[in-house]
Amino acid sequence: MPEILQLDFMVRAFITSALVGMTAPVIGVFLVQRRLALLGDGIGHVALTGVGLGFLTHTSPVLTALVVSAVGAVLIELVRTHTRTSGDLALALLFYGGIAGGVFLTGLAPGATSADLTSFLFGSVSTVSPQDVVLVALLAVAVLAVLGYFGRELFVLCQDEELARVHGIPVRFLSTVLAVVAAVTVVLAMRVVGVLLVSALMVVPVAAAQQLTRSFRATVRLAVLLGVLAALTGLSTAYYTDTAPGAAIVLVAIALFVTAAGGGILLRRRRFRTVPEAESPPAVGTISGTDPGSVSP
Amino acid sequence: MSSSSLPTAPAFTARDVAVAYDGKPVLRDVSFEIARGETVAVMGPNGSGKSTLVRALLGVVPLSGGQVWIGGTPLRRFRDWAQIGYVPQRLSVGGGVPATVREIVASGRINRRRRFRPLTAHDRDAVTEALTAVGLLDRADDSVYHLSGGQQQRVLIARALAGEPDIFVMDEPMAGVDAANQQALARTIESLAARGATILLVLHELGPLEPLIGRALTLENGTLVSDGAPQHSDHGCCSGRDHSRTDTGRPPPTLPYIEVSRRA
Repeated sequence: MPEILQLDFMVRAFITSALVGMTAPVIGVFLVQRRLALLGDGIGHVALTGVGLGFLTHTSPVLTALVVSAVGAVLIELVRTHTRTSGDLALALLFYGGIAGGVFLTGLAPGATSADLTSFLFGSVSTVSPQDVVLVALLAVAVLAVLGYFGRELFVLCQDEELARVHGIPVRFLSTVLAVVAAVTVVLAMRVVGVLLVSALMVVPVAAAQQLTRSFRATVRLAVLLGVLAALTGLSTAYYTDTAPGAAIVLVAIALFVTAAGGGILLRRRRFRTVPEAESPPAVGTISGTDPGSVSP
Repeated sequence: MSSSSLPTAPAFTARDVAVAYDGKPVLRDVSFEIARGETVAVMGPNGSGKSTLVRALLGVVPLSGGQVWIGGTPLRRFRDWAQIGYVPQRLSVGGGVPATVREIVASGRINRRRRFRPLTAHDRDAVTEALTAVGLLDRADDSVYHLSGGQQQRVLIARALAGEPDIFVMDEPMAGVDAANQQALARTIESLAARGATILLVLHELGPLEPLIGRALTLENGTLVSDGAPQHSDHGCCSGRDHSRTDTGRPPPTLPYIEVSRRA
């Protein structure tokens, strides 16, 4: 057995990372499709206020972060749908408010140091307790169960909100569900990647996977695979280089993205060369059936 | 298939319907009934409120006045959405996560499927049939985003077909579809009508659907200016706007057929 796996805290960190790497891209794929790729980031910043509150009240920062970020997620949905504030402005408000609240409350808390805050900002391998592992496992199961239950509805909702309404899908309810599930994912990923980088683990594996896939199902599967790969490789790298795991995990994920983007270009080139043009030539004066967006002469 | 609504009640009833965006009226005092099995076109120049009207009928945009009934049920209490197949103006790309043609078309059966059950043989048949009807069966496993605008339009129509609704609402289904496929779609719509489906279409021009449409609701500046047999050669209603017109699906040689769809 490699030395790294003989350390209890590393085994806990590996289990947690694998769970996070698996869960984050599944919610991420819906957020990306809904053009809310930065929602995780906004919630992450709010979670920091929750962490600060935990320090101040001497309760578990994970639990306070869970409550505060879930409330923040609902708030952002309300702001997005009920006011004239656009989605990205609502996110900006969350970013600033969340991080300011976190730093301020941590400053007020007696005994809390900036090192404590840093471990939540960028993740930390050594601080994952056995209770954390259990909590993260439960949250991961909850997140995947909710996404599995509403998967079909969420697919339609994230594709086209208007179409979802005409199917009688409860759009507002499901949008809130999506935001709260994103908040829970942020909190479960917080110990490993940190609140500032958690959103990367939701979004980057999805961005990498979609370079190579044609179907939604395959995108989800590949994103999960890449997420777990990035989490485990990044964590090992962090251990051997004595750096924050969040940074290493995200850099691995981005390397996977670059590789996938290159692979995607090659794949498409080959596809274009081998697939014969099935479409009959378009009638003169019509929108061409083959080249998107152009008008044939 | 449909249970909750009365089979004899009109498919749609609109009474004094008004819609306003940001306090600016877009539709005013629109009233009509569409009987079961009717094929009706909503026509009018750009900006006349055609799309807004069908979206208001489906509850996608809120009414600022008046009332709508679907199958005799007030819109607010209407729940039997499996009855309705809606074809939006265009495929929404969203964040660009890939999805195959088959995945999109199968999602049209969302109200017909039970949770946690895999696709049944009937689900699969309905999807295959819908793909065949629009001539895209050979592209079923391609990403929808690799298709042209006209092909994407056909995916959306197949999506509505797959749900086996008995009321179809189509927002400019022919936009961006080339002449040959317009003919094919017209035949599909004709067979739906022959099967007794109610079809409400937003159209910019009758084109190859001309023989099918016995009734047109014509809007101008948000009001219903005529309800009856369509005017078959109505030129001049859209002069100076951003598209040219064809009359019978045969485009004039010099002008490209471009439909610029509006999105509110």
